[in-house]
Amino acid sequence: MFGSGAMTNSIAELEDSKCIFIIGSNTSEAHPLIANRILRAKAKGAKIIVADPRKIHIAFYADIHVRQNLGTDVALLNGIMNIIISKGWQAREYIEARTENYAVLQESVANYPPEKVSEITGVSVQDLNAIAEAYAKAPSASIVYAMGITQHTTGVDNVKSLANLAMLCGRVGAESCGVNPLRGQNNGQGACDMGALPNVYSGYQRVDDEEVGKKFDAAWGAQLSRKPGLTLMDMMHAIEEGQVRALYIMGENPVVSDPNRAHVESVLKKVEFLVVQDIFMTETAQYAQVILPGVSFAEKDGTFTNTERRVQRVRKAIEPVGNARPDWQIICSLSDMIGYPMNYNEAGEIQDEIKSVTPSYGGITYARLDGDGLQWPCPTSEHPGTKFLHKERFTRGRGLFSAIAFKPPAEASDNEFPLMLTTGRNFVHYHTGTLTRQSRSLDDEQKEGYAEINPLDAHKYGISKRDRIKVVSRRGAIEIKPEITGRVPEGILFIPFHFAEAAANALTIDALDPVAKIPEYKVCAVRIEKVA
Amino acid sequence: MEALKNKVNELLESGGIAGFLGLRNFGSEPFPFLFTRDTAAEVEKITTGAVRYPLSKILIRIAAVYPDAIFGIMCRACDERAIIELFKNTKLRSDKVITIGISCTDDLVQACKCENPQPSNLVSGEAGKKEFDRSDVQKIASMTLEQRFDFWTEQLGKCIKCYGCRNICPVCFCDVCTLEDQPLVKRGEIPPELPSFHLTRAYHMAGRCVDCGLCEEACPVDIPLRTLYRRVRESVKELLDYLPGEERDKVPPIQVLGDGLFEIRD
Repeated sequence: MFGSGAMTNSIAELEDSKCIFIIGSNTSEAHPLIANRILRAKAKGAKIIVADPRKIHIAFYADIHVRQNLGTDVALLNGIMNIIISKGWQAREYIEARTENYAVLQESVANYPPEKVSEITGVSVQDLNAIAEAYAKAPSASIVYAMGITQHTTGVDNVKSLANLAMLCGRVGAESCGVNPLRGQNNGQGACDMGALPNVYSGYQRVDDEEVGKKFDAAWGAQLSRKPGLTLMDMMHAIEEGQVRALYIMGENPVVSDPNRAHVESVLKKVEFLVVQDIFMTETAQYAQVILPGVSFAEKDGTFTNTERRVQRVRKAIEPVGNARPDWQIICSLSDMIGYPMNYNEAGEIQDEIKSVTPSYGGITYARLDGDGLQWPCPTSEHPGTKFLHKERFTRGRGLFSAIAFKPPAEASDNEFPLMLTTGRNFVHYHTGTLTRQSRSLDDEQKEGYAEINPLDAHKYGISKRDRIKVVSRRGAIEIKPEITGRVPEGILFIPFHFAEAAANALTIDALDPVAKIPEYKVCAVRIEKVA
Repeated sequence: MEALKNKVNELLESGGIAGFLGLRNFGSEPFPFLFTRDTAAEVEKITTGAVRYPLSKILIRIAAVYPDAIFGIMCRACDERAIIELFKNTKLRSDKVITIGISCTDDLVQACKCENPQPSNLVSGEAGKKEFDRSDVQKIASMTLEQRFDFWTEQLGKCIKCYGCRNICPVCFCDVCTLEDQPLVKRGEIPPELPSFHLTRAYHMAGRCVDCGLCEEACPVDIPLRTLYRRVRESVKELLDYLPGEERDKVPPIQVLGDGLFEIRD
């Protein structure tokens, strides 16, 4: 891998890319402004490749759209690399100068000849060849991905495979190229950058690194643990086992967003003390002993860091409504009471502290954030910020190829559960709808959940658009409206996860990626029944 | 800018207006602001802004709350055309609005290429030259029908149904919008039905569109909406001899049904 968790390149660079490979990203519905950059690139002659089991909106603008079987991305990518190597299209000099472990990759992708890959993925050999040629031969080529890549038991393998492909063709550290994960939240990148992860402090400095630990001990005047904390899924299990007794949730709605809803609810009932901090009442907050009112973007000062590593100021437009307070003030008050006073007068002082302990944010102050903001790494107060990463060298030195073997998803269809379910988003709503379902116009646009089902399957089960169907998995069952459409292939259902009353997560499986611990929201087995 | 400040101060002090709707700098960004006698000190921060803003949409709301008050409003030529249509459609009253004209910068004139960038009551800036250009309409007209259909299908197919074109339009003022009418317009899907969604809006622009081009500026997916509505505007001129926003005293064709007995009145 490269050594940094972020979009390698910038959003604007997509416009000048000559080939854009979109995989596992419903770009025009979930990231419409980025999708427009891609459409502008197309207007300038770029080739657009979309790999997605569904015929999503942007697939209509693709030169090549392939509909791989659910959970077969590693095989697909290995197959593409196999073709590139066998045709001699790989970037030999780049591989030699900038990467290591190439022999291992070569050996592993040799096991994925096109015919075998076609069998696993359902993608024709002709299409595999076309993707390999378009991506490898274009003067510049970008990879764009999102949750369709990561929300699998092989999520880390999928990302590593994309990194392999990009390095194989010398597409990392170059303009209008790169590997570009699209973050869903305006500040998803910022939250990770600030160390809202169990194993790192701000700027991805490892908790278990003694030097880093000492630095933070000194900065905060405390003896800090060198042991990584628990991931979200680990917390749930620790609560079940009685090892965690209190839970403090900020701006999350796991009852609707985490897999296996019944299990989440049982855990939240079991935990002795639950605090939820949010701006509206949520399904999760219903279980809380204490609810703390946070504020919306309009009521606070601070920064958001977007998907292209750009740190931007948010400025308070109105005073907090009612008893609501900015999150940082709530946390400081709690900390004061616990006996560790945090003395900040304003958000800018926190930014100064971030700057002092975080090398990649070392040159970022509020004074420099007027206008367009700054892209990290920005290590010094003179540094202009970084448009794309890994220009001369990778963060870790050399780019590391890894051998990745294809593993099927945790669940396969069988006689009892003959259909496969995948989940995702609709253009109107955001995640669990805590925000967007409050908006009259957005709610009017899409009031209820639905299950996309292929016309052939609808015919097979005798379902018409006026029926309601029951969708059943090993975890649970929901009743929902069918949307009969060729957008999904035969044998696959799609349910957006925004709607608590027809919750996709009553069905999804809580099988995890062994490394990232991300659940496999994108694949599980289900059966359907017509509701009488 | 000084001339504008002086004019606003003069109108506020003399009591000629209850308020002036214009743009004020907040930090480095211009935002709409209603200058009144109580906030006269803010006139120092008045700006014409590098970007355009449909202030008349805000004025409709203010005027609805204070129907007897007279308001001044900052106006480019396109804003003025829109306000003339709003008078005719009884959304604003001509005896309650004083337009303060500002000229567009050369860059803006060059970028917009509209028929007439000169407002009538010019207070700030100098009258620049016209750069009228309709080659965008001509280019489409020169295509074969099949090419045209493919072009518009591709362009309109990009729509993510954000309603930005309608929301920013200075002459979109209906209480009930056909584009939200169910089951005429199906909900929950992008793109909205092709091409009916956009043609519906285009027809509703007939006799109204003042060619300000804000729709196209607002469109997050670069659909050439202005070109589409320009053609509609030209059709109305050709067929009904009416150019929206240009003729103060002419009754809009949409308000004349049959023998004219159904003309809309205050």
